Amino acid sequence: MNDAAPPADAQQSGAGRPSRRGFLGALAGAAAGAAAGAAAVAVTGVAAPADAAAAKPPVGYDFHGAHQAGILAPVRRAAAVLALDVTAGDRGELQELLQTVTDRARFLTSGGPVPDAGITAPPADSGILGDHIVPDGLTVTVGAGTALFDDRFGLASAKPAKLRTMEDFPNDNLDRGICDGDLLLQFEADDQDIVAHGVREVLRATRGGMQLRWRKDGFSSPPRPSGTPRNLMGFKDGTSNPERTDAKLMDQLVWAHGGQNGEPAWAEGGSYLAVRVIRMLVEFWDRVGLDEQQQMIGRHRDSGAPLTMTREHDDPHFENDPNGDVIQLDAHIRLANPRISQTADSRILRRAFNYDSGIDSNGNLDQGLIFTAFNQDIERQFVTIQRRLVDEPLVDYISPVGGGYYFALPGVRDASDWLGKGMFA
Amino acid sequence: MSQRSQIAWFWAVIVVIAAVAVVATSLTRPGHMTAATSSAQASGYQIADDVSHCGVGWGQADASDDAAAAAGAGDTAAPAPAKVAGGVQDFTIANTNINGEDVTLQNVDSKQVFLELESIGPGAKVPARVVLAKGRYRFVCYPMDENPVLGATVEVGAAPAGSVLTPGVVPIDNNQLILAAKAYGAWVDGRLPTLQKQVAQLDDDAEEGDLAAAKADWLTAHLSYETLGAAYDAFGDFDAAINGTPASGTTALTDPDLTGFHKIEALLWSGAPAAKIAATTRQLKTDVAALAAAPGTDRVDPLDVGLRAHEIVENAIQFELTGQTDAGSHTNLATIDANLSGSRQALSFLAGLMKPRYDRLSDTEAALDSTQKLVETFRRSDGSWTPLPSLTRMQHEQLDAAMDRTVELLAPVAEIATPRKVAP
Repeated sequence: MNDAAPPADAQQSGAGRPSRRGFLGALAGAAAGAAAGAAAVAVTGVAAPADAAAAKPPVGYDFHGAHQAGILAPVRRAAAVLALDVTAGDRGELQELLQTVTDRARFLTSGGPVPDAGITAPPADSGILGDHIVPDGLTVTVGAGTALFDDRFGLASAKPAKLRTMEDFPNDNLDRGICDGDLLLQFEADDQDIVAHGVREVLRATRGGMQLRWRKDGFSSPPRPSGTPRNLMGFKDGTSNPERTDAKLMDQLVWAHGGQNGEPAWAEGGSYLAVRVIRMLVEFWDRVGLDEQQQMIGRHRDSGAPLTMTREHDDPHFENDPNGDVIQLDAHIRLANPRISQTADSRILRRAFNYDSGIDSNGNLDQGLIFTAFNQDIERQFVTIQRRLVDEPLVDYISPVGGGYYFALPGVRDASDWLGKGMFA
Repeated sequence: MSQRSQIAWFWAVIVVIAAVAVVATSLTRPGHMTAATSSAQASGYQIADDVSHCGVGWGQADASDDAAAAAGAGDTAAPAPAKVAGGVQDFTIANTNINGEDVTLQNVDSKQVFLELESIGPGAKVPARVVLAKGRYRFVCYPMDENPVLGATVEVGAAPAGSVLTPGVVPIDNNQLILAAKAYGAWVDGRLPTLQKQVAQLDDDAEEGDLAAAKADWLTAHLSYETLGAAYDAFGDFDAAINGTPASGTTALTDPDLTGFHKIEALLWSGAPAAKIAATTRQLKTDVAALAAAPGTDRVDPLDVGLRAHEIVENAIQFELTGQTDAGSHTNLATIDANLSGSRQALSFLAGLMKPRYDRLSDTEAALDSTQKLVETFRRSDGSWTPLPSLTRMQHEQLDAAMDRTVELLAPVAEIATPRKVAP
């Protein structure tokens, strides 16, 4: 939907999706990434237990770094977005909670043998992945909602400058029961069992400290038949994402900088995360003619090419179609990313996941999109784009029902660092 | 929970004398055991036709020492104990017996057990992994219907820095738990006359048509019952009659076969006529009397004390914290309060056994207490309780978190307080 941001999905990215075919492929990916000047995503090959030789070699992303790995890593196939409320009683307990989340995420994303509890306790791990944890592309990205900076934990003065409660936009149909939350945990992995396992283990380790507020699970489709993955309206979604291997561009569009723009020092390397759970009224959509669908989006459904052009990644050259003769002036791609210099700094880094969650009370399918996007400045970027999109023709076929704004914490630097440590300085 | 009651040291049947051999291989590479390696070493260490060997192969450098290892291992006068590096120990334990066996790994000096494998089938090979600190250890094998066999002592070196050690615990045997179970059973038994009186009061007021008084009586009696730890069929058919819940597709009001507290609750709080209510309170009085008179209510299975302490709270989370059992009185929070008392009570009889074995016992007790304190903030000054649906989201989350944390802490109690074999 929000086309505000371009391709970069793995396939096109220099950093490359870590090869699932082997360790060497993963290293090659890392090398290519380094060559492209995007050191942000490091890829680690992790030796598999030898008796799993038949399975594909697991791939992991370095947990330690200036940024959380899940922000620039290629979009994985399986995702779960969890919003939680903190039930820890005080500042010290919140610190313990974040340390525990860090420890668990560090272990789960690097893998290793499951510790044995002997006869002293139930098994230390659910066993979903057997007795040896493989990372399988797992990342756990942690964000803080504005509520975390209320008076409970003495963090009011540490609040990121632009963090606030997500507003109701004119075309929204928000259920506040599936909005907001003190914390957001975004799990992504190459396989769904890895996500299910990660969710279970992190929650198990943190009972007492936080409680699930809402959750949405999603998936990213493989290229059909090529190019950017499609959403459940059948359109390629995310074609114009900014190039994530362009470190300079990421510095301008994704990373918050401590001491600039009103941000507290600890915010350096973090990023604003907008999450929107967008229901698609798919039965209605499927009753709309293809031409009308394409007019609303501004792209050919099958190829993904702008209506003015031939191939998916062709520039639409809106300037050659100033009156909207080919791509309507209110087409989604035109409003979301007008591609003029004045809107260049409102671009966002998207990570979208399809969801398929059962049925509504009328027997219609509950399908849609978990839109997530990273921003340096949520006002300048996501909110600005969203305002441009108000009353676009597409709003009749979609219904934003949930989500929130969060600040994705800076990365964990090393084994002694932990998520959010800087907030307490 | 049925599998828990199948404590498998009375393995299946078939009595034949046979050989036991635990073949163990210690690999120094952490967490890295290949199928090929383990099977090769296991076959290299197979010992046949002797009930006097256990743990043969641990500390033996290679399979060609097979015969020597076999000869020395079961012999109490074995020369110098084998030495192995500390840290990760990967084993493939092969039972060459023709019956099942159980195997444990103990520290010879502290008697702590680090590994317990139950019901290894005849001919089966079971992988196991422990991370050990410096000390003297040995396997102990319990072939079915045979005397335990002590393996040779192995000296384990210091574990590498940063090792996540397998925790050990001194197992508790059945006799030790019988004492706790008897004390717990006596406590439950001692509560039954009070329950009988409270149920009689309920019946009196219902018979007289004083339904306001009956509602108060109902809560008092129900809470007494809910402290008794009837979780998971502890009282068998009595519990179904006294505190049963409606059959699928029915409610407490509509289920024609339902009797007991929840049927009475549904009638009392839906404005049913006194005569109809009195019929159900009369039945409850009879059923509670039958429970009190039943032989063996004070005989608690030794396994059950730890299970109760844990599962009462599991039950409260599953059926009370969800409001599932509410038949109109909106007193789930009161029930949770009573359940926490019940769990605390069961735990109290285990305190002596747990204290040296569970380093989070005091955390567990504190969690039960603070959760109960939180629950009791929902009791109003007039003694009535806040209905569960009236809790704000934040209040509900705080309560969920407190219950979840408590039950996580209770889970190891049930594991540690399982009756186990105790080697000399």
